[in-house]
Amino acid sequence: MGASVPFRCTRQAPLMLQRILIANRGEIALRVIRTAREMGLETVAVYSDWDTKALHTRMAHVAVPLGGTTPRDTYLRADKVLAAAKATGAQAIHPGYGFLSENAGFARAVRDAGLVWIGPPAEAIDAMGDKIRARRRMKDADVPVVPGLVDPVDDAAAVKKAAAEIGYPVMIKASAGGGGKGLRICREPSQIESAFRTASGEALASFGDGRVYLERYLDQPRHIEVQVLFDKHENGVHYGVRECSIQRRHQKLVEECPSVVIDAKTRDAMGEVALRAGRAVGYENAGTVEFLWSKGQFYFLEMNTRLQVEHPVTEMVTGTDLVREQIRVASGEKLGYGQDAVRWNGWAIEVRINAEDPKQKFMPSTGTIRNLRMPGGPFVRLDLGMYRGMEVGVDYDPMLGKLIVWGATREIAIDRMRRALQEINVGGVKTSLPAALTVIEDPRFRAGNFDTHFLESLDLATGTRDHVDLVAAAAAVFRHHQARRRALATDSEGRGAWISRSRHDVAQHSARTVRGGGQA
Amino acid sequence: MKYFVTVNGLVREVEVVERLGRLEVSVGGEPFELSYNEVDDLGQVVVLHGGRSYGLSLEGNENDVTATLAGHRYDVNLEDERERAAHAAERASGKSGGVLNAIMPGVVVEILAQKGQVVAKGAPLLILSAMKMQNEIGAPTDGRIQEIHVSVGQAVSAGAKLITLAPPELA
Repeated sequence: MGASVPFRCTRQAPLMLQRILIANRGEIALRVIRTAREMGLETVAVYSDWDTKALHTRMAHVAVPLGGTTPRDTYLRADKVLAAAKATGAQAIHPGYGFLSENAGFARAVRDAGLVWIGPPAEAIDAMGDKIRARRRMKDADVPVVPGLVDPVDDAAAVKKAAAEIGYPVMIKASAGGGGKGLRICREPSQIESAFRTASGEALASFGDGRVYLERYLDQPRHIEVQVLFDKHENGVHYGVRECSIQRRHQKLVEECPSVVIDAKTRDAMGEVALRAGRAVGYENAGTVEFLWSKGQFYFLEMNTRLQVEHPVTEMVTGTDLVREQIRVASGEKLGYGQDAVRWNGWAIEVRINAEDPKQKFMPSTGTIRNLRMPGGPFVRLDLGMYRGMEVGVDYDPMLGKLIVWGATREIAIDRMRRALQEINVGGVKTSLPAALTVIEDPRFRAGNFDTHFLESLDLATGTRDHVDLVAAAAAVFRHHQARRRALATDSEGRGAWISRSRHDVAQHSARTVRGGGQA
Repeated sequence: MKYFVTVNGLVREVEVVERLGRLEVSVGGEPFELSYNEVDDLGQVVVLHGGRSYGLSLEGNENDVTATLAGHRYDVNLEDERERAAHAAERASGKSGGVLNAIMPGVVVEILAQKGQVVAKGAPLLILSAMKMQNEIGAPTDGRIQEIHVSVGQAVSAGAKLITLAPPELA
């Protein structure tokens, strides 16, 4: 076995971490497996019936079936995941993001089972998980928060009354929520009824808690977040800011590190506040403090008590492997460096690859992934969960992977991302990639002149008008070939024997079919 | 064969003729020089035109094709003359647009309209839960709710009939 990471248990006896279980799927499971392998650790994957052939199942040292198909029966089953850890002798569990990552009960169960939890303490997850209690706590810790309601409400009339006091526009936000679920914005009283119904309904369905609270929706807001990391010895550092304003219904699409609106002084100030927020809840491990930034002011939004999807942009700019740092501090190691050691170099941009149709208001798109063409070249990073032959359904998150680029300056990073987006091709499902390209090519994005409404303001339904003649001609030839192939296929099955003229074409077609089957 | 090709909403008349094993293509009546080579069976195509090279991706069937060129997506619809005539007749007889289908598989969470109700285009008709999001599905046109084909809690597949709308003049 390779080098092991030392950590101390409560009795100070030195122990070595040798095998970790990743309680997740998709690109984040791969992300963790890769670093673990680099650290000489063995990895255990867990998988649902649908993920038998998935990349994480293939890439881990050990793979344990969870038995079942839906998330509820598999990746959300704490008991099955713990049993898998026990059966395989894994000493630690990395939860990734989503699924059980922000489930304090699971974090506690992992700890109680004598395993290392590669994440924040259950108490910190609890403290930040209830958005309402978190706001109170942050106010007490002198962390600035957005003006709004402190106590949750649970009916439309109460929402209307509170909205009038706070002032429009207001945002309805589920008490227990996240990932854009249970969030609605109202610009006038007439929108409250329907917004409350869907927000509360979503929260009730997803989290079993239909309470909502309200806050003032800020003008031209930008979503700026700070990456923090704490060890178990009261040391903490921040890794600066990420700009995540390119989003739709609070689902991010394009992320950057750092941000055009945050200078070094503001970055340090936000970093300090973020560390204060973390310390107020006894935070350990990696976390992200989200802020709304509006006209030079920033307000605490929430703290995500896990590694985030967009963490790679911070890694590219700071030269830090955040998963390695997570595993190190979780095993009890000291951080070993201070804030002065954190340096920022250049610019990174990430684009999420979601199975969604941007021309149909980002409706989920399903199908079988095929026809993959991946970009390469300097400073291009791909964190992918998808593979050729993968079936994309509606039961899991629509994110197929992420494309990340680095550049010495923001301009270079934008040019590089544009180039990479022109190279990549994902066939079989519709993806958000063309929408990301539209963003990257927009002069306002290049100028850094955008807010969280930018993506919704774009016309993504029409599509480009360049090269229409060329595409029309190529599509007609495509159809011509298809029609001919179909005719020949029919011939070869039925009366093909007497069409000697087409024999050569038939042979070609059969060869193609066989080759296609082999690749699937 | 002549095709009416709609690319991102713009219509082009394209003619493809096979002569002595070579394809001759014209767009809008003008000859269109084109070298077309399929790289694999998955949809990668190399197209040469006007001294330039294009790495194109083409997927789909004979009527609906998705093309990707330099990261941009083109939704392409193709009709030959016979199909075009048939579709035009269908549109003229007002057959189109009466049924609201599920765009994606999901679960019906709430039905917001009642049978017989007159609704305006865009009015919320029902809420469909898919991929952990609740999506409000609006009326595609003005009309009267003629039939509701689903009930709350029902799982529907993509393309399933949700609601039939009668033309508003029959209301």
